Amino acid sequence: MTDPAAIRALFRERGFILNDPFATALHLMVALRKPLLLEGPAGVGKTETAKVLADVLDTRLIRLQCYEGLDAMTALYEWNYPRQMLRIRMTEGADTTLEQREAQIFSDEFLLRRPLLDAIVQDRAPVLLIDEVDRADEAFEAFLLEVLAEWQVTIPEVGTIRARHTPYVILTSNRTRELSDALRRRCLFFWIPYPTLDEEMAILQARIPGLEARLAEQIARAIQVLRDLPLQKAPGVAETLDWAHALIQLHRAHLDWAALEQTLGCILKVREDQSVLESHRERLQPVLEETLKPGGHSLDTDFGLGSVSTPHR
Amino acid sequence: MTYPFSSLPDNLAAFCASLRRDHQFNIGPRELMDAARGLEIADLADERAVRDVLRPILSKTYENALAFDPAFNRFFRAAEAVAPREVPGLPPRDLAPSASEGAVTTRTRPAMSDGTDVEVAAAETVAGAVRQVADAEDDAMATRLRASYSPLESDGTPLVFEPPGREWVEAAAALAARVHAGASRRWRPALRGPRFDFRRTLRTSLHTGGEPVTWRWRARPRRQPRFVLLIDGSRSMGASAHPALQVAVALSAVSPKTETFTFSTMLRRVTRDARLASAGERRVVQVQQAWGGGTTIGACLDEFLLHFSERLLGPDTVVMIASDGLDVGRPDLLRDSMARLARQSAAVVWLNPLLDTPGYEPTAIGMSLARPYVSVLTSVRDPASLGSLARTLRVRGRGA
Repeated sequence: MTDPAAIRALFRERGFILNDPFATALHLMVALRKPLLLEGPAGVGKTETAKVLADVLDTRLIRLQCYEGLDAMTALYEWNYPRQMLRIRMTEGADTTLEQREAQIFSDEFLLRRPLLDAIVQDRAPVLLIDEVDRADEAFEAFLLEVLAEWQVTIPEVGTIRARHTPYVILTSNRTRELSDALRRRCLFFWIPYPTLDEEMAILQARIPGLEARLAEQIARAIQVLRDLPLQKAPGVAETLDWAHALIQLHRAHLDWAALEQTLGCILKVREDQSVLESHRERLQPVLEETLKPGGHSLDTDFGLGSVSTPHR
Repeated sequence: MTYPFSSLPDNLAAFCASLRRDHQFNIGPRELMDAARGLEIADLADERAVRDVLRPILSKTYENALAFDPAFNRFFRAAEAVAPREVPGLPPRDLAPSASEGAVTTRTRPAMSDGTDVEVAAAETVAGAVRQVADAEDDAMATRLRASYSPLESDGTPLVFEPPGREWVEAAAALAARVHAGASRRWRPALRGPRFDFRRTLRTSLHTGGEPVTWRWRARPRRQPRFVLLIDGSRSMGASAHPALQVAVALSAVSPKTETFTFSTMLRRVTRDARLASAGERRVVQVQQAWGGGTTIGACLDEFLLHFSERLLGPDTVVMIASDGLDVGRPDLLRDSMARLARQSAAVVWLNPLLDTPGYEPTAIGMSLARPYVSVLTSVRDPASLGSLARTLRVRGRGA
């Protein structure tokens, strides 16, 4: 993780294609030890980035999935109350002082660590993924600010726990609501757009090594066309990969209308979107007709991940 | 790449100052220090590396990220007078200030015209763009251009977000209470509930010698409803838009999930301004191109649906459109957009100021196309009429 190029290479080894700006943002996150806020459309790999980063750094990934109503206790810690009550009952007749009993029931044994506390007490800096932070309430965001600034947690019965190692923090947001300026200012920011045609082809080649180069290009081009249509839910990278897997399962070596109709559910998840596609069939026609042109492709282009095809000019 | 000043800190400080001043970046000493630290690990001779380092540190929002590269070009490459170039990772149209930027929206994902700092081109360039678009038979886009640059176009009226009065807030609270959203995933202490509250029961048992005599419970509260306000800012609305702006501010005060947009020939998100006004800060927003000229309601609603429907619409969302319905856009686009809005939200409320005019009938083509998809068609001019809306609003599927 010494420079952006090294990060790109390490991610690529794990089937994750990064462009230079994204690799630089990750490099800065590691070098400056600042949280990285990732925004972008659904399905472009925001969550996956954290998973791959944890693998690259050979450390643990701790995930805090945010949702409406998430509170500090659920994110930080909770006492195991049923177990505490049971212990109190069991030791009722024991010859112990009140202080001893208290110390016992408020010990580590009864503490349920939630993701934020778990991230703080690790022996090695973990990757902490705070996923879909925009879904949490504003009150939780304020609490998060405190944790991200101090990296310490105070438990009244135990005391203050300071982070042994500052975690690498990735926050993701789908922009269902605006995050506060205060939270944004504590983070580096990176917007992940949909991949370009070349990037998408490289992703397909990297994630599905057995995929025919011609089919990979057709899929990538078709997806680019679909994303340009007025769809309610544009297909993300996850849909692209699902689609490719489905076509392989159906033993399709190339994409045509029949194959598209068979597998439409992999890429368009809303009925109205399928109608939109129907009314824009002519946009996909050139992509699907590519296969009919003999020698229409040069299969020699290498994107660094094996042979892929490009349109013959 | 040229550096206007001799030392790196001077260049960095001046660049940050220009981002703050010209593009409303939120840059303080901390960001400046981080940028300096970031540059320590970048190759200063490599322009792209410098950009890539500064962009994630100095940009804090999507809009910032869009504005960053043109600003970088202007500051460091002004002498070279380069054309805006495509930058990996961002849609090219968003980075290239052009005749159409800010006024014309395209269907390219995930870009959104936001009215940020743009270079307004000369009139002949605009005329050329109109011809080009018309030649391409893109009627919707040409209509927008014509409407935006029509002879009627003026500097426009600024949007004024005033801090809300108590009556407005009370009426907005009544409206928010009227919308019964689904149950939240949060567990809150409650007198009765489906989940036993060990923590509180244990705490209460201290009063009874450790014996849990009084049991405590937890239940899920209702979710807060979301309001999306789309306010027509065209010339025809004029001062009639003021109550709608007040509704936006009052709803922002009672529900943090309120989102506010203004539209005429383009869509602009003004949620932040409404929210700041709800906190007591008077906001005046100059939106020349958005606030004047004709209205393409269908195209703007379509733009909203394209970029925001996934994130903002749902069974807890009430969409409120404030417009006189005088539309110069494509009727079919308006009808389709309204159908989608109605399908994806709990209710669509249309606030039409013309309803207060004696003898007015909502027969304008825009209004008549939209009406089948509207849950409530009314006008709001004061807190009392907003309160009246709160009493009459019916939200689909919630039995409100």
